[in-house]
Amino acid sequence: MVRSLIASLAWSLSAAPAPSLPGGGPIQVEIFEDLAAGKEFDLAAMKSIDRYTEPAFAFIHTPTKFAANAIPLDRSTPFILKAAYQRNYTAGSYTLRLRARGAARLFVDGKLVAQTQAQKPNTSGDDPVPPAVERGNTPLRPAAYPHQDSLAPVQLSDGPHEVVLIAVIGGKGLYPSPGELAVGIRTKDQLVDQLLGPHDAPPLTDAGWEAYSLASARRHAESDKVRRRTVSQEVSALWNARHKSQPAKSAPAIPSAPDGYPVRNAIDNFINVKLAATSAKHTAALNDLEFLRRVTLDTTGLIPTPAEIAAYLKDAPKSRRANAVNRLVDNPSWADHWVSYWQDVLAENPGILKPDLNNTGPFRWWMHQSFSDNIPFDRFVAELVQQEGSATLGGPASFSQATLNDSPPAAKADIVAQAFLGQKLSCSRCHDAPFHPFKQKDLFALAAMLEGKDLKLPATSTVPQGEGGRKPNVVSALKPGESIAPAWPFAKLLEHADSGTLPVAAKSATRNQLASFLISPDNDRFSQVVVNRVWKRYMGVGIVEPADDWSRGRASHPELLVYLAHQFRASGYDLKHVAKLIFASHAYQRKAAGTAADQMSSAKRLFAGPAHRNMTAEQLVDSLHLAAGKPFDCEEMNLNPAGDRSPKQFINLGKPERGWHLTALSNERDRPALALPIAQSIVDVMTNYGWRQSRQSPATKRDDAPSPMQTLILANGVLGTRIARLSDDSAFTGIALGNATVDALIEQTFTRILSRKPNAPELAMYRNLLAPVFAARVVKGAEARSTRRESDGRVSWSNHLSAEATVIRLEEERKLRFGDKPTERLTKDFRERYEDTLWALINSPEFAMVP
Amino acid sequence: MINRREFLATPLAAAAAPAKGKADACIFLWLGGGAAQIDTFDPKRRGDGKKVAGAAYGAIDTAIKNVQVCEHLKQTAPLLDRCAVLRSITHPIVSEHAAAANLVHTGRTPSGTLQYPSIGSVVSHQLGSKTEEVPNYVVMGYPNITRDPGFLGAKFGYVYLTQTEIGPNGLVRPPDVDSTRQDRRETLLASMREGHQNRNAGDAAIQAQGDVSRQAFRLAGPRFMNVFALNRESKTMRESYGGEFGQRCLLARRLVQAGARFVEVSFNLNFLNGSGWDTHNDGQTNQHLLIRDLDKAFATLLLDLEKQKLLETTLVVIATEFGRPPEFDAGGGRGHQSEAFTMVLAGGGIKSGLAVGATDDLSKKVIERPVSIPDFHATIHNALGIDPHKNLYAGDRPVPITDHGKIVQELFA
Repeated sequence: MVRSLIASLAWSLSAAPAPSLPGGGPIQVEIFEDLAAGKEFDLAAMKSIDRYTEPAFAFIHTPTKFAANAIPLDRSTPFILKAAYQRNYTAGSYTLRLRARGAARLFVDGKLVAQTQAQKPNTSGDDPVPPAVERGNTPLRPAAYPHQDSLAPVQLSDGPHEVVLIAVIGGKGLYPSPGELAVGIRTKDQLVDQLLGPHDAPPLTDAGWEAYSLASARRHAESDKVRRRTVSQEVSALWNARHKSQPAKSAPAIPSAPDGYPVRNAIDNFINVKLAATSAKHTAALNDLEFLRRVTLDTTGLIPTPAEIAAYLKDAPKSRRANAVNRLVDNPSWADHWVSYWQDVLAENPGILKPDLNNTGPFRWWMHQSFSDNIPFDRFVAELVQQEGSATLGGPASFSQATLNDSPPAAKADIVAQAFLGQKLSCSRCHDAPFHPFKQKDLFALAAMLEGKDLKLPATSTVPQGEGGRKPNVVSALKPGESIAPAWPFAKLLEHADSGTLPVAAKSATRNQLASFLISPDNDRFSQVVVNRVWKRYMGVGIVEPADDWSRGRASHPELLVYLAHQFRASGYDLKHVAKLIFASHAYQRKAAGTAADQMSSAKRLFAGPAHRNMTAEQLVDSLHLAAGKPFDCEEMNLNPAGDRSPKQFINLGKPERGWHLTALSNERDRPALALPIAQSIVDVMTNYGWRQSRQSPATKRDDAPSPMQTLILANGVLGTRIARLSDDSAFTGIALGNATVDALIEQTFTRILSRKPNAPELAMYRNLLAPVFAARVVKGAEARSTRRESDGRVSWSNHLSAEATVIRLEEERKLRFGDKPTERLTKDFRERYEDTLWALINSPEFAMVP
Repeated sequence: MINRREFLATPLAAAAAPAKGKADACIFLWLGGGAAQIDTFDPKRRGDGKKVAGAAYGAIDTAIKNVQVCEHLKQTAPLLDRCAVLRSITHPIVSEHAAAANLVHTGRTPSGTLQYPSIGSVVSHQLGSKTEEVPNYVVMGYPNITRDPGFLGAKFGYVYLTQTEIGPNGLVRPPDVDSTRQDRRETLLASMREGHQNRNAGDAAIQAQGDVSRQAFRLAGPRFMNVFALNRESKTMRESYGGEFGQRCLLARRLVQAGARFVEVSFNLNFLNGSGWDTHNDGQTNQHLLIRDLDKAFATLLLDLEKQKLLETTLVVIATEFGRPPEFDAGGGRGHQSEAFTMVLAGGGIKSGLAVGATDDLSKKVIERPVSIPDFHATIHNALGIDPHKNLYAGDRPVPITDHGKIVQELFA
């Protein structure tokens, strides 16, 4: 089918309008969709869907397609990418190189000069691994498997020439991405191609390509941001209008503060009343650097950098905390830190290999853009519940999936109710909940709203009552196979009407209605549940516990909860507003006291100080990499790099840069050729620190109690080894080479890792260790070595069953144990002593604790 | 007032319970990919590798009367009286490896309301640790969610290794850190830890954090690591076990000897035939190499355990996610079949020397005594003295160890 379509594509440009191209300017790119299957197409007769520019002829990323409310959409598959460019060339002979995974054609001045064949969808796993590429003595980056290189010798005359590339991206059974689609050009005298484009286009070497690729990712992320904000301006205005039109409610009264307790804002008034009533003492205030470390972790998920610390300390003491908060809530990492939280609560669970273990699609991407754009939180909830957009590539539709689940909407109903109403319906999944005011029928009525139609109760969602089996203690009024109609099941519990029409209506009326009930300004429960989640995240323990199951808990400070919920609603459901209130309180700005586990009963929650917290798994691995100045540098979350399978079977989650980008590595097949060793070394640390690689069910609380394995995996594992390793890409190598004194080195090291200066005994200890070898530490004449990691790009799903693929990955695993290549610019003795210093600091319990 | 746990956990209706087993450890050999019962432990008439369905190899007699195995299980055949061959395993998940592997490891399909623990985690949770000298639950293979502790929590997770030569992940020091360097590191760390504790003298959470760190290094001390040192075994012993899979089995024996409760040994030596036990197409060509490797390692393990007087208390299991049909695919290999396939139990004090259940003349359908995955789990648990109907708790919610699994009573006299 695909082949016949590709074979019949009309490639001729004769009918294309003469492009008006600026000489030497950026490359003009257009995207065309909805090619009629089996029919010839004529680009001239089609209207492009997107137009944009690229700085050179490499098309690694394409713009995300957005709906009017900014949610990501799927493109048609296949779609066409057309790139056109005109420039003056000097007369001579040139060789053009067309590099593509699928069908592409290259035209010079309207004449076809090179083409590549359509990619075939693959259904096998036991293709041979292609032979290793002989690099010879050319620095050319070889074509990644299974890309094709098509070379075209061309004679160019002096003056302007026009080059046009047309490429087919995706197609049935193929991954809809361009891969390493590129065009290179070189003269006889040049050793290596340059990407086609302006004079300063990068060379087609590994380094040139990787730098371009990274820049391209950044550029596209930035342009996606601008485009979606522009495209959704109208919708954003509608949401603002909705908030403005909501009748203001009178603000709750703030109690007067009892004497003798510190007050920074209204939150403290509420807290101090209870502290005074129980004559409890509050903990001491954090010092400035402790505060900065805590609030930076809470906003960005990272420890502060030395530059941030310096800027902060430069600020006037009176205003530095508030200034830091204002800077931090607008830091792009704000979105990263929130995504990891909602991945848990909303059970985001993408599978990179034929997903079938209660997997969802990767709605992480839509969540990330939502927090990045700081859309009002009620809008976030409405769009989630509406479940539209791309299912496989990360729109809210991918929330609706639950592979191998007997009733995905029932699973989602439970998630939505826990997340936004604090109503845990899990027990009602299979029977009437014995200790919650919910019947199984309630859950399925809510599920039917998400589904948009009546639902039949699957027999597997019931408690079997077979003969000889146990007599269940739980019962249900429903029978297997019974039909349940969509209905809002909380009318008794939450006495409010729905909030009428939403700014953007989804196709499903019942989803709209459900969203309308949830985010109604009269739904106090919704606002309270969300602010309680925010409070718990920053203070370590909620005002209501368990935060996801309110029918079992009581508020420790009911008036404070009402106050925060009122603030949240009045701010137009702005999470940043609530966060700032909490950060500004004295309650937040003092030392931790006790653990969350000690304070599960509401009477025990006084907030004399926030509860102790350890860094989350994401904060830990992200902060470690930040401290060392090293990227994750791990494999792409993708088991089909060849791109010859459909995204329904294999999704590409990209090259992780933050902890939340990772996902279960899905090697249930236990096959060495499917291993991703570097990603695994990060996942190993994260899973020990409470991160769930598989989020089959929603969770508000992680299982992250301190354990010996946490200590050991960091102390001995590959990740810790890489962080402490003084390789030429380590920031610590840089400061070791640069510092004039051993004391300055130690101080900077402490600042980078622990956000503080060493105390006297610490300084003395490390001075003792480092000083004897410090003066002679630099090896004269030694140069920095490339830290580039060679991962064999030939292994893909299509050949992972070959013996060679197994051997390749096993060998990579063995090599990885040695960590990154050490620098040769420092003497071995000094390097080892300083590495041990770094090791001791990152493994000290202080590092992983939030101050 | 009756509390939630008590209410929800009212005991089951009494059923005649078989005698509880006395095993205190389990070695779980995992043939990932779906081992063909017809080419291993449930041989039938020969096929031709193309159109005519049937076994790929001849069959040989075993120590159990009237029970044959394939000709490549030569060393195992005379030891089969130590085993119970469950030839009537059946479950409904045939298409997807991950889903079937998950079912065989957890005994359940995913529900979306909680994540079920693997059998290794359940055993580790139920039997507790015998000693601090060794991890309770060890996996030799890739970490994945089918092996995870699920709602039981990280405490009941596993230590894993992917290659015996590399050693257990997180427990082995990096190759360039010798003991002198390690001492230096730990001295520096101890000082950091104590400084932190002293500066926060009254704070219990900080004290606890430091104590856990200290305990970790004590645990992973030299004695602990010796268990993983295969070079402490004689050359003859190592060679008798065979290749990497055999070495893993030898390590499993060392771990059990030292007190581990559950050791899962994955047979994923895919370089032998490319596909491992997932013998579609070409994978079939060299399947006999896998079978011989299994044979050598399994037989040696049984004899070694016997010699060490561990066989009576160590249940050895051969498990796989599904079997394979008697027909051949276009490439001369085999597809998947979950309706009827074989698992093997050995040692562990069970009544051995028998085949349980039977399949039809081409091992396509169970014709006698079907055994479900919950039944298979219930049987393993019973051999280990664990009540398969006992409730575990996901928070307050009771979850029986098996989903109505029925113990294979014939194995418990």
